[in-house]
Amino acid sequence: MLQVKIEKQLPDFKLNINFETGAEILVLFGASGAGKTMTLNCIAGLLAPDAGAIQFNGNVLFDSIARVNLPARLRRVGYVFQHYALFPHLTVRENVEFGVKDAKGRESAKSRERAHVDELLELVGITSLAARYPSQLSGGQQQRVALARALAPRPDLLLLDEPFSALDAPTRETLRQELRALQARFNLPTIFVTHDLGEAYFLADKLAVMDRGEIVQIGAPGEILLRPRDLRVARAVGVKNILRGVVEARDEKTCHVKVGEFGLETPASSAPVGAEVNVCIRAERVVLMRPERGEESRAENVLEGELLRETSDGSTVTLYFRADAPRFAPTQDFDLQIELPVYIYERLDLSRARRWRVSVRRNGIHLIR
Amino acid sequence: MNWSPIFLSIQVTLVATLGIFAIGLALALFLARTKTRAKILIELLVNLPLVLPPSVVGYYLLITLGRNGIIFQLFNLNLLFTWQAAVIASMVVAMPLMVQSAKAALEGVDPALENAARTLGLTEWQVIARVTLPLARRGIIAGLVLGSARALGEFGATLMIGGNIPGVTQTAPLAIYDAVQAGRFADASFLVFILTVLALLSLIAVNRMQRG
Repeated sequence: MLQVKIEKQLPDFKLNINFETGAEILVLFGASGAGKTMTLNCIAGLLAPDAGAIQFNGNVLFDSIARVNLPARLRRVGYVFQHYALFPHLTVRENVEFGVKDAKGRESAKSRERAHVDELLELVGITSLAARYPSQLSGGQQQRVALARALAPRPDLLLLDEPFSALDAPTRETLRQELRALQARFNLPTIFVTHDLGEAYFLADKLAVMDRGEIVQIGAPGEILLRPRDLRVARAVGVKNILRGVVEARDEKTCHVKVGEFGLETPASSAPVGAEVNVCIRAERVVLMRPERGEESRAENVLEGELLRETSDGSTVTLYFRADAPRFAPTQDFDLQIELPVYIYERLDLSRARRWRVSVRRNGIHLIR
Repeated sequence: MNWSPIFLSIQVTLVATLGIFAIGLALALFLARTKTRAKILIELLVNLPLVLPPSVVGYYLLITLGRNGIIFQLFNLNLLFTWQAAVIASMVVAMPLMVQSAKAALEGVDPALENAARTLGLTEWQVIARVTLPLARRGIIAGLVLGSARALGEFGATLMIGGNIPGVTQTAPLAIYDAVQAGRFADASFLVFILTVLALLSLIAVNRMQRG
């Protein structure tokens, strides 16, 4: 169990981090400059916090009160750097062996370490590249070497700083899956830094959203996506529809919130009647209602209107929907962004069928006070 | 032909090169890794011989090494007009070339590589030996070659503190001056030819180093 509670004054803001993590992947997610790398560097011992403590399984790595600051070399932390940081003057094999201690000349130990390095090279699929130099490798291959090198000294903890950000999409995809498998195999507490939401969601057992030096929210990724604690988190985790509303009535199970001209039924919230709230509606949870599927009976919060325009990244389509009165956002050109997979867009023939009734399900709505 | 100035020059240059390697590298490491104010002062002091007239450098050395200087006072050691004085003069004028080049090379090593080595369990000295120096070696060797070429050609400061004693402190550059003064142009041409070849060789060496 890693326990981190540190503070450090930075030029623009104060790093103030507090979390615990075990043998799982914790993803630190946030915009660049949020303090993610700083946090990793403090844990690795490359940077000293101003105050606080870092403990791993009861061992003190840093403690400002007890004046303990274990040097990086003694922390048993494997670190994969953003730009790989492979030693250019050493071959792949020499890079991976770099942190493996000379086993004091005993032949049995030496050959055991050699077998260990061989196994790692095999595991990350770079056995055939062992004699090459880093400059002769592709980005993805370099990243594999960096991973093998970090794992070779048998660390207690693995830190990865945006390791896949410079790679092309297919390589990134493959490496993410391999990392998950490796983490499960070694059962290693792992902290992964990224600003890519998809990557964070894919890898995270636990997700920590960072903003200006703080962890704003930490928890299960699905929970954070659906129920962001505040607007910063909501924007960071890609909530496309954030609407202002006022609570008109409430009971144990339901809130009635006036959003623009529309009376929206939402899940219960602690917000009192009359309170202004931000209504978060995830774009992928708005449903286009197809009469032939009998969705009318399950419909909640139905709006009728037309699709104004759409954008697509090739796999997902974002529709801009404008409701007839009553509207969510009468001053705006559209009321809702709706996301769906391209194949659904095609199957429903949405490029021609523009008039739709949509349902905003209650379980896709989240209120932020 | 009288080879003794050549042999003396080579002896002085080799010892001076060892000196600028050890001291220059230590200085370069210090300058590349600290941010103290003292750094600016030290850098200024090291670089001064680059812009000062050699006779001025020689004058300072004369004061430092002479009977009232600290070396004589502390160790009762008179270095003036010995070949060791020529070594010191060569080292002082060649030092800036070594320090500049080595410092730039050391600063050019990506800190992430050094950090990677630290997380892989290396001590600070091991980081320097296994990562920093190997990666900066080109700049270090280039500085060393330039420095030793400069040491080989040293004239003014050497004349001031070593004198021009044949067989003792008369290095090749001094011998050339002497030969020309005495009208022995054959001697002068021979020494000039040898020094030119050595200078060209070191330039070629630096060039190859920089192209990698």
